[in-house]
Amino acid sequence: MAGDMMTGTERLWAAIKLEETDRVPIVPQLMPEPAARLTGITQARVAADNAVALDAILKTFDDYGGWDSIYPGTYTPLQLQVLGADPMKMRIPGRDLPDDYQWQLVEEEILQPRDYDKISEMGFDRFYQEEYLARISNLSVDDVNREIGALMTTGMRFVEECDKRNVKPFFMGSGMHPFFTLSLMRSMVAFTKDLYYNPDPVERAIKRMTADVIAAQIALGKEFRLGTLLITEERASAYNYPPRVFERFWWPYTKQIVNAFWSEGIVTIFHLDQYWDKNIRYFRELPRGSFVLGLDSTTNIFAAKDVLRGHACLHGDVPAALLSVGKPDEVRDYCRRLISRVGDDGGFILGSGCGVPLNVKPENFRAMIETGKNTKA
Amino acid sequence: MTEELSDLILNFKRDAVLEIVERRLGAGEDPLRILNDCRRGMTLVGERFQQGDFFLAELVLSAEIFKEVTAVIEPRLSRAKSSQTKGRVLIGTLQGDIHELGKNILITMLRVHGFEVHDLGVDVPPSAVVDKVRGFKPHVVGFSALITTAFPSMKEAVALIQEAGLRDSVKVMIGGGVTTAGVRDYAGADFQTTDAMEGVAYCLKITGGK
Repeated sequence: MAGDMMTGTERLWAAIKLEETDRVPIVPQLMPEPAARLTGITQARVAADNAVALDAILKTFDDYGGWDSIYPGTYTPLQLQVLGADPMKMRIPGRDLPDDYQWQLVEEEILQPRDYDKISEMGFDRFYQEEYLARISNLSVDDVNREIGALMTTGMRFVEECDKRNVKPFFMGSGMHPFFTLSLMRSMVAFTKDLYYNPDPVERAIKRMTADVIAAQIALGKEFRLGTLLITEERASAYNYPPRVFERFWWPYTKQIVNAFWSEGIVTIFHLDQYWDKNIRYFRELPRGSFVLGLDSTTNIFAAKDVLRGHACLHGDVPAALLSVGKPDEVRDYCRRLISRVGDDGGFILGSGCGVPLNVKPENFRAMIETGKNTKA
Repeated sequence: MTEELSDLILNFKRDAVLEIVERRLGAGEDPLRILNDCRRGMTLVGERFQQGDFFLAELVLSAEIFKEVTAVIEPRLSRAKSSQTKGRVLIGTLQGDIHELGKNILITMLRVHGFEVHDLGVDVPPSAVVDKVRGFKPHVVGFSALITTAFPSMKEAVALIQEAGLRDSVKVMIGGGVTTAGVRDYAGADFQTTDAMEGVAYCLKITGGK
């Protein structure tokens, strides 16, 4: 935009470092699914080919005038399953669902209680590839290798395409918190019973998985040298679990992950869905500027700002519901409120709360991007 | 005896609850009385949850215990006794969304509180809702959503209920983490929540329960 004094990358890092910016940086969590809808292709096509998914994201970026850093969405659902990023059975458009449905996960008790100790003995990746993946899919070894190859090829092209547009990927390494991974694999109800009635094996598995996440993600962090890594958690907050569960099974391992990344100069980008109001104060224990907290609008981002002002950058949180059924004026009003109250002293990245919804209205998406560009912090 | 079962449920002591239930049944006690004692425990769990002292995990754990108790007791209840309900609720996740975790938690809590619930399942076409409203005659119709693609189906289902001349006979509530008051208005629903116990409280209010 005319009048911009910083590049997108400068603006993003100033915000992460809690420094002043010319305007708030904008990073919508645009995944292939809404990008497909915004560019007029079916969900089945982006779900079948991650090169098509990347093209849809890049076309959306170009069509809407760009923003400051691009969320990597260079995957198909199957590839997320292969990597263990979505370790559940799936329903995929064009395969199990109509062509224009959103792909979805199936909550089932796949992981069994005896598996916790297998994970702690074998390590997560080996357990996942050698034992678990066959329980949720019928992919052959060749299928798995082909999907990983496609991920790597498209991932490299994504980095090149970002360079052409003079922006950086928001991150390239992305892990899930072990607590979240286990809850998805075991299903929420069964996992909760394990936490209350048989907690020790769960804790052993989380301990091992934390070490695995740290090693794998730092290797990616070093390879891509972006200075950021993503950690996702959607089930551990104080809506679901009391402090004693959070303090035993989530928080110590989160501190380990953030501190390990930070010791390598890497900032943790948290993607935290659900209601975290009662947990926000814990994050003050982490080093200043060592993390970005992405919230989905269920957590009160304005209250979170009061707790973390001057300590950490926040990211979010235009509600998915507003983007899908609201009006552009309502989107603009919400973005201005975020910019004035959360971005008033820097330390804020404007984005969607969780992902941009599949059925985002084009005029609402544009309103979010343009309000970010045209509003002084 | 009542306090003992309530306390055990409040402390999620599954094995002890089931043991006491079996013992009291074995002693020839009225099954309905035992079930009501467990319901009182569940009501206390719900109250603690609404006060912010309990968490969703604890609601789920106690509901799981209650489900097991119900499985033991219900076959021994007379048809007349088991059909005494506080009201009828029709629940589903509508077309475009196949998620059911939140829906299932709400259904369990409604049953705990004495409602007869019909579960439509997931990815339900709006037209199927209208057919079931005619047959089941619910006091409340509830739509659950995890993703925004279910919103147009909610709107369509409410419109079809209206077209069928049934809108005045039912209240419509929507729920799920992604829903907001704006979505309630968009869909033409009467009530919206992200909290299962608020959903139960709404149904109790509509049916004149306490």
